[in-house]
Amino acid sequence: MKNDDIVASVRTELLERYKKLEQKSDILKAPELKDLFARIPTLEPRERAAFGQAINALSMELKAMVAAESGDEKELEPIDVTAPFDTNATRPELLPSDHGTIHPLSQEIAKLSDIFNRMGFTIEESREIDDQYHMFETLNFPAGHPARDDYDTFMTVEKDADGHPWIAPAHTSTMQNRVLKKYRQNLENGEAIAAVVPDRVFRNEDLDARHEHTFYQLEGVYVSKDVHAGMLVATLQKFLEEYYGRKLEVRVNPYYFPFTEPSFEFSLSCPFCNREGCKVCSHEGWIELLGCGMIHPNVLKAADIDPTVYTGFAWGVGVDRLVMMKNGIEDVRHFHSAKLDFLRQF
Amino acid sequence: MRVSLNEIKQYIDGELPPVDELVKRINEQLGGVEDVIDFGDIYKDAVIVRVVSCEKHPNADKLHVCLIDDNGVVKDVERGNDGLVKVVCGAPNVHAGMLAIWLPPRAVVPSTYHDDEPFVLGARELRGEMSNGMLASPKELGLGDSHEGILELDANEWKPISVEIKAGTSFATAYGLDDQIIDIENKMFTHRPDLFGQLGVAREVAGITGKTFVSPNWYKDFPKFNKGSGLDLTISNDAQDVVPRFMAVAIKDVKVKPSPTWLQAELVRLGGKPINNIVDVTNYVMLLTAQPTHAYDYDKLRGHKLGARLARNGEKAELLNGKTYELTESDIVIVDGEGIVGLGGVMGGGNSEVSNDTKNIVLEVANFDMYAIRKSSMRHGLFTDAVTRFNKGQSPLQNPYVLNLLLKSVLDVAGGVQASEVEDKHDELNDVQSVKTTPEFINSRLGLSLDAKEIETLLSNVEFAVDTNDGERWFKAPFWRTDIELPEDIVEEVGRLYGFDKLPRELPQRSIEPATLDSRLQAKRLIRRSLKQSGANEVLTYSFVHRKLLEKANQDDSEAFGLSNALSPDLQYYRLSLLPSLLDKVRPNIKNGFDEFVLYELGKGHNKRNVDEQGLPNETELLELVYASKQSHDGALFYKVRRIIDQLCKDAAIEVTYQPITESLDYPGASVFEQSRSAFVMTKNGQTLGIVGELKQSVRQGFKLPDTVAAASLSFASFHEALEAVSNTYLPLSRFPAISQDISLVVAKNVSYADVYASAQEAVKQDNDESLQLTLSPISIYRADGSDTKTITLRLRAVSYEKTLTDDDVKVLIERISEAAKRTHKAETI
Repeated sequence: MKNDDIVASVRTELLERYKKLEQKSDILKAPELKDLFARIPTLEPRERAAFGQAINALSMELKAMVAAESGDEKELEPIDVTAPFDTNATRPELLPSDHGTIHPLSQEIAKLSDIFNRMGFTIEESREIDDQYHMFETLNFPAGHPARDDYDTFMTVEKDADGHPWIAPAHTSTMQNRVLKKYRQNLENGEAIAAVVPDRVFRNEDLDARHEHTFYQLEGVYVSKDVHAGMLVATLQKFLEEYYGRKLEVRVNPYYFPFTEPSFEFSLSCPFCNREGCKVCSHEGWIELLGCGMIHPNVLKAADIDPTVYTGFAWGVGVDRLVMMKNGIEDVRHFHSAKLDFLRQF
Repeated sequence: MRVSLNEIKQYIDGELPPVDELVKRINEQLGGVEDVIDFGDIYKDAVIVRVVSCEKHPNADKLHVCLIDDNGVVKDVERGNDGLVKVVCGAPNVHAGMLAIWLPPRAVVPSTYHDDEPFVLGARELRGEMSNGMLASPKELGLGDSHEGILELDANEWKPISVEIKAGTSFATAYGLDDQIIDIENKMFTHRPDLFGQLGVAREVAGITGKTFVSPNWYKDFPKFNKGSGLDLTISNDAQDVVPRFMAVAIKDVKVKPSPTWLQAELVRLGGKPINNIVDVTNYVMLLTAQPTHAYDYDKLRGHKLGARLARNGEKAELLNGKTYELTESDIVIVDGEGIVGLGGVMGGGNSEVSNDTKNIVLEVANFDMYAIRKSSMRHGLFTDAVTRFNKGQSPLQNPYVLNLLLKSVLDVAGGVQASEVEDKHDELNDVQSVKTTPEFINSRLGLSLDAKEIETLLSNVEFAVDTNDGERWFKAPFWRTDIELPEDIVEEVGRLYGFDKLPRELPQRSIEPATLDSRLQAKRLIRRSLKQSGANEVLTYSFVHRKLLEKANQDDSEAFGLSNALSPDLQYYRLSLLPSLLDKVRPNIKNGFDEFVLYELGKGHNKRNVDEQGLPNETELLELVYASKQSHDGALFYKVRRIIDQLCKDAAIEVTYQPITESLDYPGASVFEQSRSAFVMTKNGQTLGIVGELKQSVRQGFKLPDTVAAASLSFASFHEALEAVSNTYLPLSRFPAISQDISLVVAKNVSYADVYASAQEAVKQDNDESLQLTLSPISIYRADGSDTKTITLRLRAVSYEKTLTDDDVKVLIERISEAAKRTHKAETI
């Protein structure tokens, strides 16, 4: 056989085989190609160059085909997606269930929500993007009020119809007006408005072991007739005693929020050391846990609730901190790290 | 906010409780205490001495050897027969007969008190002469920067504390430095401008400890200003909308020098820094009253004019900090006859500053709009003591009182005479409005039953006026309060002064009406339970992503909401879907040694194209999931993820089918999927739940993922809707045994499994025989290498409610399947 014909016949053979190959790049490892290269030294010197060029041309052709096949967005072989498993394969197994976990923050939110649900509260969800009307205006923060500075809010480039940027809510109170309106009918039926909103909130902060720009908060509201500030303290105390499964002391310090009047900072006796002093409470015996207060009449009015007839209280508690304290988690950034060695501990 | 206990004691009649108790009360009834500084400890060893003799040091030109008299109060120090102590001093101003401050051996130099290694004095020889401790300069005492000489005390100088300045007296006691400084969180006072002064805090402390507050006369009695003349001064206010009040007065022939020691000591305790007597007095008056004040060098005010106006766009101002700011027309500026001399309410200008050469001054006490000040401060990044106070909204009603005190104090410490009228430019000023409420209202909000008298006492302790008129009660806040507008504000006041911790703690009562449990939350819990069982790990990732992440996932950033003020580029955009974030977390976990895992997240995507009728962005809730493995697999990865979704739908009792994706999908959630190896997840009602599939090669490469990854994206809303529509699928059990038989059908390789299955299903159920329960399930799909056909093996399980089925009964059904398959798919049965 002439040299040219030898290459041509190998080419025909390889192209035929190529069509059937599962792993297309295997064609480049075909023994025939090796054999062709091995023939070169056995040829007459004057024939070698032409023969070598012919083999190279074939080799290039095959490489180009393989490259085209595996290049960007190559057409993968379609599969029969209607089948429960692949051809010549068995039904895939699920991963071992002992690898499965629910995020610790989700677990805690479920636990907190369950307690409040048993206490008669409904559970609502919040938003990740909202307008300034709900984040500030309905909560008695007038435009330009310095209290807005206490919330380092993320804002969007895009503007709403009034020309104001959208906001990544810095507290779940952004839902307060909607929740009050949603359940306003309760009041007319002689029932209370009682709801909690556990969800994601955002503050434009630099990250470190103690600061996250994304975290979770549980907001609560209770509105009815004859609600007074002592009921706020009693309700939160009862909740915390249920949560920690023990009797606790609590105290309130005056604070300032535009959307409550009066406003409080709420502390509990450290449930981890019984006020003896430990790492969790920085050896203080007390933990400053949450902000709360009696709902400001302007906030009730914004939801068309008459503040001379109805009063209520509201609070917001950070969920991440509860989980960190409970488990001794050293770095808040773990929560959003998606690190399996963190997640699989819960 | 630093509060000096010695300072506030002056305004309270009666003994305050011990510091620990007081701090507890402040925490409970006023605001969070951040720190308590025992100032007395810093100065505990500093003693006033008289320099009895002062001789040149025999071996050093610039040193003197002094004998000092401490009246023998310091123990364990080397003394001469006359009881005097020898100290070597290098200060040029040391002289016999002077009163100085001595820091004896073992004393800590006050200016180094807060250093990591405080400087402790000793007794040592200086060029052959023994020196016991040192005579201290103002700098060493932490009173300003001067260290050219030692501090010389003037025994006759007026000071607020009547302790005689003589040898042996404790420096701290004589000048009020034996003090406790209580640092209260500023945030607590956002609505209380009056609490940014010692006077305001003193009033509250009296209120919460049940003591009487003794308001100083200058704050009680409306001032009668003297006439003055001698200096021309023209005052203007061309921005009354944002400058409700502008007061000023000129003083001539002042003597600028260091402040009296007592004033320096006051400033230092309150966190200030002594500069000169004029500046120190303006600062001290602010720290006392919360009202910022300013002094200008009269002779530097061009045209002898001073006024307020709005800046012009692009105007520039050089301020005291040496920096130049470009202004806009929302900045308030203070101007003289030719230009800007200060940024109103924020910082004075460098060109009108009081210096040691100043002879004549102008004092300004103005009121500025809190919103305007806040805006200027934020825009220029200037956060001064004045801003802290003005942006809370000071009362314009207090300006005359403050100017009166300022004027008197300057004349006291710097001499001079009032040289102009007291100018006062303002629009109409509103008096404080009375608030009408009743003891019943107050009690109902607090759960208390205080009588009217108790309420009145609590409020009058902090200088509220109470007016009873036909059974109605009107409460009028004092003029410095700007926060009392509503009955609820009175409730807050009473509750706080009474003590919130003493309120009766009772739970609200409710009916046994059950609280509803939202079905969406239940659906989410079901998802989490199912996926946990399937070995998946729930993750939470950020709602914001870097542009690169969108690019890697073939998503279009022009669809995403952008953040305008994120601190990090990692938070540039609201994410369109969750999968890019999940894919981003795969490689780190693989590198960390995890060989096979499933990450999923329940979260939200946002898209600019997707807004509701009010224009509010819609939130698309998604369940997205990625499977990753280091090893290659038996069969396409698609089926691995499908298996997980199958299980999820089974747990939810939602029946689903998987359909090939034939049209080209252009929404962001679909962008990562290789469509030829992906499927729609459909409910039996024809609703699309989402997509399961393998990833595009470019996506895998972008995220540096192995080949063995696949993913799913489900709409939570659709899932929830399908879950709500789930109906009962229970079949009663039969008394008779079941019988099974397999059938293998050979079909062309491109015939879909679902079609074969459907024809078989239809074949066996064509009779609609309700006495039979028939189930078809897949056993295997086999295709020989290179073959054009494949073999699908199904198992038929049959059970009758009426009899025991025989092989022949089943054979009939199997034949039907065979015939139907032959007819519809040219299938051969083997």
